Amino acid sequence: MSTEQPTLEVRDIVKTYGGVRALGGVSLRLLPGEVHCLAGENGSGKSTLIKIISGVERPDSGDIVIGGESHPYVSPSDAIRAGVQVIYQDFSLFPNLTAAENIAMLTELADRRKLSSRRRIRATAERIVADLGLRLDLDADVEHLSVADRQLIAICRALVGEARVLIMDEPTTALTHSEVERLFGIVRRLQARGVAIVFVSHKLDEVLDISQHVTVLRNGEVVSSGEASGYTGRSIAKAMTGRDVNEDRHVDDLPESAEPLLIVDSLGRKDAFEDVSFALRKGEILGITGLLGSGRTEIAEALFGVHPADSGSVTLDGTPRRIHSISDAVEAGIGYVPEDRLTQGLFLDKSIADNMVAASLSSYRGKALLLDRGRIGRSMADLFQRLRIKAPNAKAPVRSLSGGNAQRVVIAKWLDRKPSVLMLNGPTVGVDIGSKEEIFTILREQAAAGMGIVVISDDIPELVTSCHRVLIVRAGRIVAEMTGSDIAVDAIQERMTA
Amino acid sequence: MSDSGSKSLTKANRSLDDGVSGLISRIQLPHGAGRMIVLLVGIFAIFSILNPRVFLNPVNLENIGVGAPEIGLIALAMMLTMLTGGIDLSIVAIANFSAITVSSLYTAVSVAQGQAAAEGLTIVFLLAGIGVGALLGLVNGVLISVVGVTPILTTLGTMQLFNGLALVWTGGVTISGAPSALSGIGTATLASIPVLFVILILAAALLALVIDRTPVGRKIQLQGANPIAARYSGISSRKTLMLTYGLSGVLGGVAGLVFLARNPSASADYGSSYVLLAIVIAVLGGTNPNGGVATVFGVILATLTLQVVSSGFTAMRLSAYEYSIAQGVLLIAVMIVDQLTFRRRRRRALPLSSETVAVQTQKAHEEKTR
Repeated sequence: MSTEQPTLEVRDIVKTYGGVRALGGVSLRLLPGEVHCLAGENGSGKSTLIKIISGVERPDSGDIVIGGESHPYVSPSDAIRAGVQVIYQDFSLFPNLTAAENIAMLTELADRRKLSSRRRIRATAERIVADLGLRLDLDADVEHLSVADRQLIAICRALVGEARVLIMDEPTTALTHSEVERLFGIVRRLQARGVAIVFVSHKLDEVLDISQHVTVLRNGEVVSSGEASGYTGRSIAKAMTGRDVNEDRHVDDLPESAEPLLIVDSLGRKDAFEDVSFALRKGEILGITGLLGSGRTEIAEALFGVHPADSGSVTLDGTPRRIHSISDAVEAGIGYVPEDRLTQGLFLDKSIADNMVAASLSSYRGKALLLDRGRIGRSMADLFQRLRIKAPNAKAPVRSLSGGNAQRVVIAKWLDRKPSVLMLNGPTVGVDIGSKEEIFTILREQAAAGMGIVVISDDIPELVTSCHRVLIVRAGRIVAEMTGSDIAVDAIQERMTA
Repeated sequence: MSDSGSKSLTKANRSLDDGVSGLISRIQLPHGAGRMIVLLVGIFAIFSILNPRVFLNPVNLENIGVGAPEIGLIALAMMLTMLTGGIDLSIVAIANFSAITVSSLYTAVSVAQGQAAAEGLTIVFLLAGIGVGALLGLVNGVLISVVGVTPILTTLGTMQLFNGLALVWTGGVTISGAPSALSGIGTATLASIPVLFVILILAAALLALVIDRTPVGRKIQLQGANPIAARYSGISSRKTLMLTYGLSGVLGGVAGLVFLARNPSASADYGSSYVLLAIVIAVLGGTNPNGGVATVFGVILATLTLQVVSSGFTAMRLSAYEYSIAQGVLLIAVMIVDQLTFRRRRRRALPLSSETVAVQTQKAHEEKTR
């Protein structure tokens, strides 16, 4: 290890949440002018570690060393004073303020100014933008700017103060190839100024381009750490998962005779997507992918009536359908497992059974308008077993479930309604590897029984493994369709960002 | 930044906190209902000991049974709207409107066609009272679910509106006159239980059945538990809320009939303290003001508890002002206990962020594969 004095160092950090250990003794040294890659799967402890460094969470034990001085924990203001800046994935910007205000407002506050001056804000913002050699419309409201521009604003904001440690959480997720290149240019400039940079990403090849040091977390422990030159994308992936990455396709043959189930014809919604056409066949698993903000989620939400399309047509099982509301979609036989499981998918304080029956209550009406509790009980017990939900029983509150089991509850809710088409948006986000595989096994079973399945995801390997066909969305349009053996991770990634 | 001294202080603090809330949670029975039984029995015992001669007098006990139904019905309506995460401030105004409607209709028909004819139409009048309640409730429902105004502002507005209309209608005076069958019910007893109280229990049982055992009742619960997830489950918030406020209006209408049966007169400003009291009762009975959780049983127990406190205070010759202090103290005490148990439960259970969920599952998975 280098003998150079680190800008910031953490030693043996332990953090537990309610008996579950999120970090079990993690150490990390951040050197000035070095880009340090922090890699790990969901739940490996990356976010917890960032929160501890930025003062959002307190560790149970361990030390945080800043400028040679050791502390048991830091507060958020300690961290900011020490020059630690974090750019979160959502950038945490104020959409209703201008770019300049977003960049300079927090420093105005930090300087404890009584009155803020438009001119001073503007000057501060201009200085940092010029400093980094960027081109930005400082007077535009942030909500009207592109994702890439928002990210630049977040970077500018972080660098207005004297940033000495810059932590970037998944900074490239929403960027195109050229935007990534521009971001890397900025990172190299910051490096030259002696800023210590932490780069959190799951795009491993990219990470290796820019980093000098790699640390891999798994289950809250450092499983591997060293010079970036000693790693390949594959070796990092292996360290992250603890096993070789499997990209083999596991797709049942779709019979030639399989009838079209859902026909979408030139569907469009203003400012979201246009001219989207595809046909889903019975028993087919169709993948839809694209970058964040490409329109992939908007298409799914239009088909489910959340934000209805304003042009084009949808035909389901030979019948034209007008989908103006979620009720229309559900009535037509479309189910949707939403992206944000915790707020859109689940009633956290209700039981597993209450959650699973939520979409099909009216079908259980028995005598005298009352619910037939016996029949509900039998169906729920059946689903509980079929989906292998791990909980003491169906009366347990959903809040107590892990991500994978909670997701199965959402899927069960729709299976109980027996939809002809089931759409799933990010079905395995925050789900452990074992559950991931089981969820796809369940989907394959349903497809084999004739259901049409649409998986919207940016987890490309899982699409490669499981989909009959993959559609790629870019800037609101379907730009490519891949079938059979053409479906491969590299090819998809290329078309997504091209 | 801290040194080891302040660290151990936090630790000591935490364990003290654990001890206190641990003690409290051991006294606690599960849910709002269990807690209310303890409170009701306790308070009943206290007044029985303090002034047994007056408090345990059959007349006093009957007064509790006669006084509870009107506020109980209003509290049930309040609970129902709070179950969806809303509130109904107009509920007492609706009840008064119903009472005034019935009384006015009765008087008008009596004058025009004689009292016998008016008595013969009693059922029609009662249905008209309940119907008016339903109608006013639906006005709330339309404003909340179709127009999209927040429940608290909608019902604040309609409370003023309904109340103002009632004042204009009656000229601000108390109007008397009620079908004799109705005022008869006001004083009748069934096996020495006041009939009004039996009506409350029947209404409560029916409401419990609707909430727990019908599809729409479950939808009302889910709407309150998480309106976004309810929407994504294909539950129409419009229908659910319309029904909720309509049903609340029906309960208000029935409460109006009880007002009229008891007094037997109607006025626009009867029961003006009932709106806030109903909220106190609903929350004491275990209703979560954020929606999703409520029990009819708990609300009935809370109604009785406050009625017992009220009559106990009367037995002790304490004033209505002191009664209002007691209401406040009871509510705050129960909220403190709730907070402590909630905090304790939360510390024991895992805070649910996607990160920790993922940590949890991955650990479980590791263990399984090991």
